[in-house]
Amino acid sequence: MNTILQTKGLCKTYIVNKHQNNVLKNVDLTINEGEMVAVMGPSGSGKSTLLYCVSGMDKVTAGEVFFNGRETAKLGDRELAKLRLDEMGFIFQQMYMMKNLSVLDNIIFPAVKSKKNSESRRQTEERGRALMHRLGIDDVCGNDINEVSGGQLQRACICRSMINNPKMIFADEPTGALNRASSDEVMNELLSLNRDGTTIMCVTHDPKVAAKCSRVLYIVDGGIVGEKEMGHFDGGDKELRDRERELNNWLMEQGW
Amino acid sequence: MFWRILKKDLKRKKTMNIILLLFVILCSMFAAAAVNNIIAVTGGIEHYFDVADVPDVTVNMLISEENDLGEKIGELACVKEIRTEHWLCVSNSKYFRHNGKELDNFANVAFLLSDREMAINYFDENNNIIESVDKGCFYANAPFLRDLTIKEGDEVELTVGNSRLTLKFMGRFKGALFNSGSSYSPYLIMNSADYDYLDRDEATHILNCKQLCVNTSSVDEIRELAKNYGGVYVYTREESKGIYLYDMIPAYVLMIISIVLMLTAFVVLRFTIGFTVSEEFREIGVMKAVGIDNGSIRSLYIVKYLAIAVAGTLIGYFCSVPLGDMMMKTISENIILGSESGTLMGLLSSGLVVIMILLFCYNCTRSVNKLSPIDAVRNGQTGERFRKKSFLHLGRSKLPQAAFLSVNDVISSPKQFSIMIVVFTLCILLMTIMSNFALTLKSEKMLRFFDVPSSEAHIMDSEIFGEVFVDQSTYKQIIADTEKLLADNGMPGKCTITMATQFETSHEDKTAKITFSVMKGEANDTLYVDKGSAPQKTDEIAVTVSTLEDLDAEIGDRVTVVMNEKKHEFIITGTYSSFTSHAAFLYKDFDLGKLPANNMWGVQIHFDGNPDKAQINQNIEKLRDLLDTDKVYSTSDFIKNFTGISDTLNAIKQMMMIITVIVTALIVILMERSFISKEKSEIALMKAVGIGNGSIILQHSLRFVIVSVIACIVSSTVLMPISDAMMNWICNMIGDIAGLKCDFDPLEIFVICPAILIGVTVIGSFLTALYTKTIKASDTASIE
Repeated sequence: MNTILQTKGLCKTYIVNKHQNNVLKNVDLTINEGEMVAVMGPSGSGKSTLLYCVSGMDKVTAGEVFFNGRETAKLGDRELAKLRLDEMGFIFQQMYMMKNLSVLDNIIFPAVKSKKNSESRRQTEERGRALMHRLGIDDVCGNDINEVSGGQLQRACICRSMINNPKMIFADEPTGALNRASSDEVMNELLSLNRDGTTIMCVTHDPKVAAKCSRVLYIVDGGIVGEKEMGHFDGGDKELRDRERELNNWLMEQGW
Repeated sequence: MFWRILKKDLKRKKTMNIILLLFVILCSMFAAAAVNNIIAVTGGIEHYFDVADVPDVTVNMLISEENDLGEKIGELACVKEIRTEHWLCVSNSKYFRHNGKELDNFANVAFLLSDREMAINYFDENNNIIESVDKGCFYANAPFLRDLTIKEGDEVELTVGNSRLTLKFMGRFKGALFNSGSSYSPYLIMNSADYDYLDRDEATHILNCKQLCVNTSSVDEIRELAKNYGGVYVYTREESKGIYLYDMIPAYVLMIISIVLMLTAFVVLRFTIGFTVSEEFREIGVMKAVGIDNGSIRSLYIVKYLAIAVAGTLIGYFCSVPLGDMMMKTISENIILGSESGTLMGLLSSGLVVIMILLFCYNCTRSVNKLSPIDAVRNGQTGERFRKKSFLHLGRSKLPQAAFLSVNDVISSPKQFSIMIVVFTLCILLMTIMSNFALTLKSEKMLRFFDVPSSEAHIMDSEIFGEVFVDQSTYKQIIADTEKLLADNGMPGKCTITMATQFETSHEDKTAKITFSVMKGEANDTLYVDKGSAPQKTDEIAVTVSTLEDLDAEIGDRVTVVMNEKKHEFIITGTYSSFTSHAAFLYKDFDLGKLPANNMWGVQIHFDGNPDKAQINQNIEKLRDLLDTDKVYSTSDFIKNFTGISDTLNAIKQMMMIITVIVTALIVILMERSFISKEKSEIALMKAVGIGNGSIILQHSLRFVIVSVIACIVSSTVLMPISDAMMNWICNMIGDIAGLKCDFDPLEIFVICPAILIGVTVIGSFLTALYTKTIKASDTASIE
């Protein structure tokens, strides 16, 4: 399998009130294409910071980050933006959307900007509608973003992250603001994407979510202290329960 | 606890609070400057007349042995005080020499006045009363200084008849009863010994004039007495204010500008407060959720805005002083403007700004009562909607992404951007209206308001036509001589002279003093009437609307006038517009005999064969040589000389351009900074999904470009009706003007001014939008 994301000695430090706060300390990480990796850890351990650093959304203090063979630290702002636009997708815990655009327009917005697709606007719109249909939210195409439920909005965010067929999706607690039913729906969509070949890196607090991933990383005080191979999840309640139990046991060992 | 929240808020939302503070400063600055200017303009002349000790009545007359009007007035019981000024005259500017060169800078007769006989208070440039003038020195008023480079201490030689004097220039003086327009007579104040020396020379008595300044309880008695004497003109204090007709145009223009600037600042302020309060919704929701009552929440914000308002208005008030001075500089040259009440009113206006801000804030926080805690947490959105935010769809639009987002933003927030369009429209109108005013007030279409026919050249040298002031019948010879001169020198043309004389006019039981004008010579056009028709017979007249009102008459009525001791009856055939309010226009064949003219506008020339502008200028140059005078003017120079305000308005226009650029730049910078503050999460999100800085900056800049382009279109649409209405309104204050259509310079109106506005907007928004670079994609996670 090809490596899509790799970090070597990744460090991230914040200076707060003249005090150095080392959020990430020499993180070495490799993620291969087609993996679905969950990052878990206590609050303040550096999970989200790791996600933002490897996705090029934040600058690293030291170390190297390679995405698809390119070292992101050496890319300029414009190249980095293009990389995020064409090859990465993002899902946030809060469903950030452009307030002046309808749900559908929010979804197709990155595709309109991208030069990756040579399709017409109408074709892009059709693709956006198809994605919405796939995620079961096609009935809210023309709605404003404040007129849909949290679950619908998060699925719209997934649609937006998928619109440019990215190589990898970064999700920062994608189900954190959702109820159980919506959370399951969203995770099923991410699983489905992963099965279609999209690599996913997902920060979560929820063992139920992490249990659906193929690998789980456990991070404490800015360093990866544990890693668990789970294998691909093929569905089924029983298998999920078994994976969950296994993961919980492992997490207990890690000090969860 | 509230104070702690407030303190924290002021610190945490530093940018928005600074923006708000700046707008309060702007608003207070313009409000105080505007109020000060309004007071100075509206009460300016009255104040000036008070400090100058202008009497109830002034009586101007020619001195003669048989004229004993002065003594007769002194015998009236109603008269409390008489002060007399005797004026010597210098009939031509050439009698003055400066640096060895004859002066040729003023057209009319110059009058000399002794410091022993100053009947009212005259002021030097520093607004100090001139008590006396040293021997060998003189002060001069504005008309003497026109086109003359002279500084204090320079010497001027005066040679009249056999008398010669060298006088040192002490500076410019302000005389409340002397017109400071460049085409009016210059006045010089000199030491009594120098005056007496010149008085002995007959040459200084060509126009033997004196002015009586009379304080009386009955103006009518003096008027009644003056009726029995020829060549006597009686002006009440109120009538003397007419001297400042043309000074008042820029003053009123400034007043309008001040009001518009104040409105602009208030509109922007209202917008900014609304904007900042809407930013607080989430916090309001949290406070409501934890059980704080609406009144307490509102009072928290009101106290915050009160603090900002008080600080802003104080700074704004102090900034308003230089601004007001700068705006009034152009008119304060001729008038002593009062400032005592202005200071108090300026402070009051600043207080008013504070109250307005609190009212705005109270109004903006009304929604606190209506919103449930969760609605407030959702930034004031209730989840309900009754119309679509925007009809645009990204998928169906052909616009590039940044342009689409800009257009979509403007359409999605119509109220917000409409306010900006209104503000920008006002800004551009300030520039373009000024341009129209300046252009119109020197255009040929103004000629008819001076009661002269369309003409291409104007001889204004009093040596050529001065005799009509003694005997009107001399016009025939003047016209014949001038036409012959023109024909003999290969530039044939027709000449006209318009003369004016005042007569008591009666209709039924009403009587009024009306100025009768008559145009002599051949003109291509007849009198332009607004209503009815121009007079076609010698017993017909057209009158101004003010005359109709004075006499309580209508078109078709007959009025009675005694001229040359003969009673005449005239039928009013129509109304016309004129800068002389109480006026009537006679048919050209009406003969006024040998009566002295009260006023006239020089000799107008209409060249045969419709020559082009170059040819006209060439003819004017030729005429200057032939007549040995520089006082032959083109129509635009003629109007410029009479009104003297076109240049002032040009100066105001330039000042307006600078103010507009500064105000627009400030508005753009502050608004864009507010937008960035409010849209931080969206900007971060856009960056997170891969939109580059360039696109974001372009989107933000384009929004302002769209707004400024719409503002340019709106202002172009409304410019002419507004210009016409305002011009007529202003001109109507000083004369009887109706139906005046403003001139416009398409290059300036449709290219230069819009380019300035759009340019400032583009540069301002672009530079401010660069700040979006500081927002990182990772900020998405740390946004509230």
